[in-house]
Amino acid sequence: MTERIAKTIFWVGTLVSLTVFLVMTVHTHRSFDALTHADALDEKVVSGKHAFERHNCNDCHTILGFGAYYAPDLTRAYARLGEDGVRRRLESPEVVFADSYRKMPQQHLSPTEVDDLLAFLRWVSRIENHDWPPQDSPHRWSRSTERMLAGAALSPAAALVEQENCLACHSLGGQGGESGPRLEWIGGRRDAAYIARYIADPEAVSHGSRMPPFQGLSEGQRLMIGEFIVSLAAQRSVP
Amino acid sequence: MTYKSQRVAYPYFVFALLLFGLQVVVGLWVGLQYVITVPQAVVDVFPFATSRAMHTNLLVLWMLLGFMGATFYLVPEEAECELAWPKLAIAQLVILLLTGVTALVGFLFGWTRGRPLLEIPTVLAFVVVVAALMFLANVGVTLFRARRWNAVQGSLLGGLVFLAAMYLFGMPFYRNLSMDWFYWWWVIHLWVEGAWELIAAAMAAFMLLKLTGVDRKVVEKWLYVELGLFLFTGIAGTGHHYYWLGAPKAWLWIGGIFSALEPFPILLMLWDTWRSVRERHGRLEPALTWLYLGGMAVLHFMGAGLFGFAHTLPQINYYTHGSQVTVSHGHLAFFGAYALLNLGFFYLAVPRLKGFREGRYDERLGRWGFWLMTLGVLGMSLAFAVAGVLQTYLERIRGEPYMVAQQPMRFWMLVVVLHGLIVVAGVVVTVVHLLTLRPEPAETERAEAGELVPARAGMGS
Repeated sequence: MTERIAKTIFWVGTLVSLTVFLVMTVHTHRSFDALTHADALDEKVVSGKHAFERHNCNDCHTILGFGAYYAPDLTRAYARLGEDGVRRRLESPEVVFADSYRKMPQQHLSPTEVDDLLAFLRWVSRIENHDWPPQDSPHRWSRSTERMLAGAALSPAAALVEQENCLACHSLGGQGGESGPRLEWIGGRRDAAYIARYIADPEAVSHGSRMPPFQGLSEGQRLMIGEFIVSLAAQRSVP
Repeated sequence: MTYKSQRVAYPYFVFALLLFGLQVVVGLWVGLQYVITVPQAVVDVFPFATSRAMHTNLLVLWMLLGFMGATFYLVPEEAECELAWPKLAIAQLVILLLTGVTALVGFLFGWTRGRPLLEIPTVLAFVVVVAALMFLANVGVTLFRARRWNAVQGSLLGGLVFLAAMYLFGMPFYRNLSMDWFYWWWVIHLWVEGAWELIAAAMAAFMLLKLTGVDRKVVEKWLYVELGLFLFTGIAGTGHHYYWLGAPKAWLWIGGIFSALEPFPILLMLWDTWRSVRERHGRLEPALTWLYLGGMAVLHFMGAGLFGFAHTLPQINYYTHGSQVTVSHGHLAFFGAYALLNLGFFYLAVPRLKGFREGRYDERLGRWGFWLMTLGVLGMSLAFAVAGVLQTYLERIRGEPYMVAQQPMRFWMLVVVLHGLIVVAGVVVTVVHLLTLRPEPAETERAEAGELVPARAGMGS
């Protein structure tokens, strides 16, 4: 190989790649508005992005898969947890993650910041990014969804318990979390209607409860869960 | 050392090494937070995010200081004249160090721009730009005055201008998160797979020329080909970061195809090093400097080439994106490509700056440093990879919740931290060795110690 050929390889290689890259950059700019729903990108979302950066969220969490890998990806967090779920984590992480082996700092966000962050995460959750991440994809059934559906055929209430991830805090048959009472214990002491009321608004039934409200469930679903939990008790100690 | 102004390189090397030490120590704490449960009270004041920002910014700072020092060492010798303004070079170092210290202390108090790797606040970013302009002016004026252009200088200056220009794309506030990340990669990807590769190729070519005495024409010819392939695959290869950020689908094709070719220029670099070794004049001495060159060529290929290729195709990346698989690749690639390059260059330059005969030095302690660091980082990257595969399977494929998937990964993060201890030990040994480098013991002394290496000893220790 002569030096002339070597120089040609250098210039052709560089310029071809650069051309492809710049043409694609123009194409990307033209597509961004539609793919990211830029019409919904208002000042509240921008304030949320500022808050997101001010509190350095991205050096623990990934978003769009970028950032640090210490905490869950936030791309679809809004869709995954719902507005209440995200709000609770932002406002009182020390309560939500009290039993977790990994904590989130309490950053004392102002109510405006929380609202802005919610607006930001809501907007992000709608970015069309070829259905990533897979675990939050509505087009792919995760293994846990499959398990839930299999359970739903036998007991719709058990499927709801799984869907709402009750066992993150309560235990059942020795499995699950320990921050709430055992489901068998509840079942032996309460009736279905009480449990349904409690699920709807824990604070109203028992002041200072650490349990989040499950307003997303219907009246009937809450009652079904209540009946399921009552059915778990081997012996009723309370009439 | 032939030119007096090359001396300014030394303080750059010293501070680069000290910051490197600090980086790996902070890294231990970063890793430990995956293993143990840090109490809420500690998390509230010193969260993971802060330590991670420190770990990554220290990396960027020490490597840039290393590159700058290497440039100040290399340019006078290649241009065959003194540096234009040696005092400006020292002023620039002071500015960068003050900026770095301010940024690190600022992170502790939550003064951050909150953009990974580019956390330093905008005010400080402007100071960095000023320092970069001082640097480019110094190097540029020296080279233009000398007018002895060759491929090594061209690659170096091109890489440095490219590096500085790309930094600007990380400075504005972008309203749209997708566009934000699009341009974030113009900084990060086009640095490590563009500008930094140009600088690295120039530094490696310079080292080969100094150490082997092979024909400059041959080295420069292959340098053109390497650079051509690096830029051909690297520029459009940026697309492998654009799969899932809300950009058009065509990036899946372009990113996939161009980045699949990325191992080739690195392989060529490996072969180029090997060829120079075979065609050298004289013995492979000093053996430790060669160990660094060889180690760099091999681990650069493994970390950047193989580990990078393993998850660059969109079909795989869909599941591995943003997992510990990325971390595994990142650690091995940065260490193999740029840490070993910088350290190898220090081992070439420091003995010459200190005026040791033929650039020889007492290598004994340094070998321990090299092997501890290298094996430590290799083990660490493999442990990250196991954790990453677990995460990919449990979280991405089985759809387990994030924290459920993290639980079995904790053991492997412990393995990471244990290897981290080995890395820290290796870095401490290497830093101490480089900062207290002594001339080679006399031949009789070496023979007594049973250390006299026969002429045909290979590149291993």
